[in-house]
This record gives sequence, structure tokens and C-alpha cells, in this order.
Amino acid sequence: MSVSTIAAAATPSKRPVAGRAPGAFWPRFIVGAVILLSWEFVVRAFAPPYVAKPSTTLMAIPRVFADPAFQTATLSTLTAVAQGLGIALVFGTVIGLLMGRSQAMERGFRHYVNGFFAMPMIVVLPLFSLWFGYSAQTRIATIIFAALFSIIINVADGARSVPREYLEVAKAFRASRISVLFGIVLPASMPYLLAGFRLAAGRALIGAVVAEFFLSIGGLGYYILYNSRSYKHSEAFVGVLLLAAFGVCFELLVVWVTRRFMPWYRREDKSA
Amino acid sequence: MPEVQSQGSSEISSLASPSMAANTGEPRIRVRGLGKHYGALEVFRDITFDVGKREIVAIVGPSGCGKTTLLRCIDGLLPHDDGEILVGETRVTEPIAGVAMVFQHFGLFPWKTVSENVAYGLRMAGAPKAEIARKVPEFIKLVGLAGFEKAFPYQMSGGMQQRCGLARALAVEPNVLLMDEPFAAVDAQTREILQFELLRIWQERPTAMVFVTHSIEEAVLLGHRVIVLKGRPSSIHETIVIDLPEPRTRDTLRHPRFAELRERVWGTLMREAREAEFVLER
Repeated sequence: MSVSTIAAAATPSKRPVAGRAPGAFWPRFIVGAVILLSWEFVVRAFAPPYVAKPSTTLMAIPRVFADPAFQTATLSTLTAVAQGLGIALVFGTVIGLLMGRSQAMERGFRHYVNGFFAMPMIVVLPLFSLWFGYSAQTRIATIIFAALFSIIINVADGARSVPREYLEVAKAFRASRISVLFGIVLPASMPYLLAGFRLAAGRALIGAVVAEFFLSIGGLGYYILYNSRSYKHSEAFVGVLLLAAFGVCFELLVVWVTRRFMPWYRREDKSA
Repeated sequence: MPEVQSQGSSEISSLASPSMAANTGEPRIRVRGLGKHYGALEVFRDITFDVGKREIVAIVGPSGCGKTTLLRCIDGLLPHDDGEILVGETRVTEPIAGVAMVFQHFGLFPWKTVSENVAYGLRMAGAPKAEIARKVPEFIKLVGLAGFEKAFPYQMSGGMQQRCGLARALAVEPNVLLMDEPFAAVDAQTREILQFELLRIWQERPTAMVFVTHSIEEAVLLGHRVIVLKGRPSSIHETIVIDLPEPRTRDTLRHPRFAELRERVWGTLMREAREAEFVLER
């Protein structure tokens, strides 16, 4: 058994990848084509010419990508999302770990975290814009607000469900509390943390776009808003597609990180 | 019952087999009147025994008799309620330096490689990097895992994982080793191999060892003395001196005395087990 498991682990690329089953291509292609064709047909038949359709959107892509305004907007939004996610990740992880391992912290924070998580981010925007002005800081604050709580909740879940055996071993080897928290609880919670990050990344993108819509700060969201108001729907739609692509990229990033740095995850059942 | 021996009986038995009892050394672990309860449930009471500096004491008992709990108390992982535990001159209330434990569940960290897992105890003890770099390969080699330094636990069989757990415990060079049914989770053949590996390693680096097991054969093969726990709450029912020739090897299994001692432990334990089996849970 040991030889075969080692051999299996040595060739991870041969593992079947979820969603890439051999028979999946044609059904997927056909459904996609039907959606695009009916969209094209319905818009051509019933809508005014400025309304985006697949053909005009496709043709707009090179033009939009070459536009310096679009490049600046994209960079600005992405930078803000990265900064906000980074801050949310650090604070969310620390607060989550403490909440998961300390009953006092859990009791103190729990309802506030759940409450803020459930709160639509758009309702805090007027407050944030009062505090930080109609500025990029408000956008960052919104992104952090959007991302932070899903990370806290997931990391706290992960920290709570660390197998007792690990903690027992750490105690037997006289690990300090800090070392247990960051050396045992954090790595054991990594799958949860990544799940939280995946959720947070999507929410952060939404937060950035919502803030740009609301505050008219330069960025991808504002680019979409501006172009759709100037009857350039195809250009706006390129922005929408790019946002969707970013969402997919975050997803792929999480999957890649899991495969690359946590080969042990989902294989634990074999070790115990 | 002539077979029942009191705690001081190792001196008496040493007359019978001076070659063996003479080299167990002075006591390293002294357990005195130990008692433990969870609320109203008393787990064990009045447990008293010593473990010599170079002695293996095996503890057997029916399942649920609290042998694992006893071992965790000796390690300081669990608090005890009565009596005291001395390791050397230190009174145990929490895990102390110089004592290492090997777990039934292996307790390897899945995100660490073999090397990193073996290094864990040393790192927690604050060993300098150079020392860790020197010792980790040494102990990996000692347990027969050379070549698997970079493997993760999920890639290894149970036997290999427990070798890693053993290396992690040995790497801190403890003078007390506590073994919590270490080979209970591996298959029968692997278990036998690991038993002789453990004997080989112990003969190379003798320590005081408490070995909890539910296998009578294992207890008799490894132990210099076998303590049989009984009852609810459990207490020491009998201490049986295993006067088999040293060093223990595969030949020990064919020794006529081995069969005798195994039968004797079996008789003691099965009487208890049969009574325990037909007790309804409260």
C-alpha cells in the first residue's frame, strides 16, 4: 500500500481534475453556444443598436484593452482589492484564530462578527464616505469590510476543529501558547482559511465595484458605469467580463495554492 | 494468591533472575498512590509503582480500565487528583523535559514532512539549528526511515508513520519514554516488526519506559515487569516479573518461559476481562 500511495503522490498531475472529465467538453460548448447565439439574436431583433451583444463585445475587446483609461481603471481597482484583501487576511486570520481557541474571545466577538458578515456592504458606504470622504480610502474600507468577516468566520471554524491529537502532541512537547496558535492551529486551519479567502475575494471585488459606483472613484466599476451611461454597452461589457475573469482567477489561485502547498489536504483520512 | 506480588517484589524476584533485575537501575519514575476521577466517575485509585532507569514496565488491562489515562497523567497531559508522580526529583503536574510520548494515533502533523515532524520536539525544546540539523537525520536513520525524509505522513503506511512518531520522541533524547498503545493501529505483521525494532533501539539507548498495551504477548515480550490493572475504578491487580533472558529477540518468543508467563498474564487478565465484559454500562 505504501509504495502505491507514494507513487500516486509523485504524479499528482495524473489525478483526475474536478470539472475536467473527458466527456464534459461538448455539452458545455453546446450550452455556451446556445446562450451566446440567442443573446445575439434577441438583441439584434429587438434592441437598439448600442445594446451589447456578443459580436460587438468581442470586437470591443482589443479597443478597450488598448485604452489607457481602462488600464488605469483596472490597475486601480486591482490594487485596492489586493491591499484590502491583504489587510483583511492578516486581521481576519489573527482574530479568527483567537476566536477559535479562546472561549472569551469567541463569546465577545461572535455576534458582532456574524452581524457584520450578514450586513449588506452597501449600507455602510454612506457612513464610510462620511468618515473617509469620497476617496480611495473609502473604497479600501469597503473592501476590508466586505472581506474581513468571511475570513474571520472561516478561520475561527478551522481553529475550533483542529484535531485534539495535534494539540495533545504540542502539549506533550511543551509548546508555548503562541507556538501552538501559529505552529499548529494556523496550519491545521489552512483549508478553512483558503475557503474563507475564496469567499472574501469575491466579496472584495463586489465591494470595490459598489464603492466605485457609489463614490465615482476611478476604477473598473466606475469604467463600467460610465460607459453604460454613455451608451457604450459593449465597452462596459468588456469590463464586466474582466471582473468575472478576476473572480475565476482568484478561484484558480486558491485551487493552485491548495494543490501546491497542501498536498496533505483531503488525504488526512489515510494518515489516521 | 501466591502469584500476587507487592510493589517491593522486584527485589525478591531479582534473587530468582539476578542477570535481569540487576540492570534496571534505580527508580526513574515513582508513582505513589495515584488516583484520578472525572467528576463522580473514578478512573483508577491507589496506583503505586516504580520504573527503573533502564527498565520497561508494561501495563495491561481490560479496555476502558484507564491505562491510557494513567499514562497521560504520568506525562502530565492530564492532571491527577490523588497521590504524586516523581520523575527523577521532579513532581509532575504538566509535561516536563526529558519525558517523551509515542501515541497510538501517531500524532504526526500532516503538513510537515518526516524531517519536520522529527524535528518538532527538538524545536519546541529550543534546540539550536545546528543540533537539529545533526540529530534529525540520525534519528530518522535509527528508526529505519532513511530516504523518506521529505515524505509526508499521508504518503506512508501506518508502520512508517509510527516509526516517524518514535523518531520524534527519541530525538529529544528523553530518559523516560511513555508508549500509549503505539502499535495498536498497525497491522499484525508490521506490529511484530516494530516490536523488535523497538527492542533493538531500546538496547542501543536504554531508558525508563512505560508501555501501555492491550496485547498480552507484546507486554510479556517487551516488559521487564507487567502490571495488570483491574476493576472499576481500576487498581493494580498484579505485578508480574518477566524473568526472560536479555536481550529479548525473536528467540524469546520460543522460550518455554515466555509461554508460561504469557499464560499467567492471560489467566489474570481474562478473569478480569470476562467479569468486565458482562457488566452493564451505567
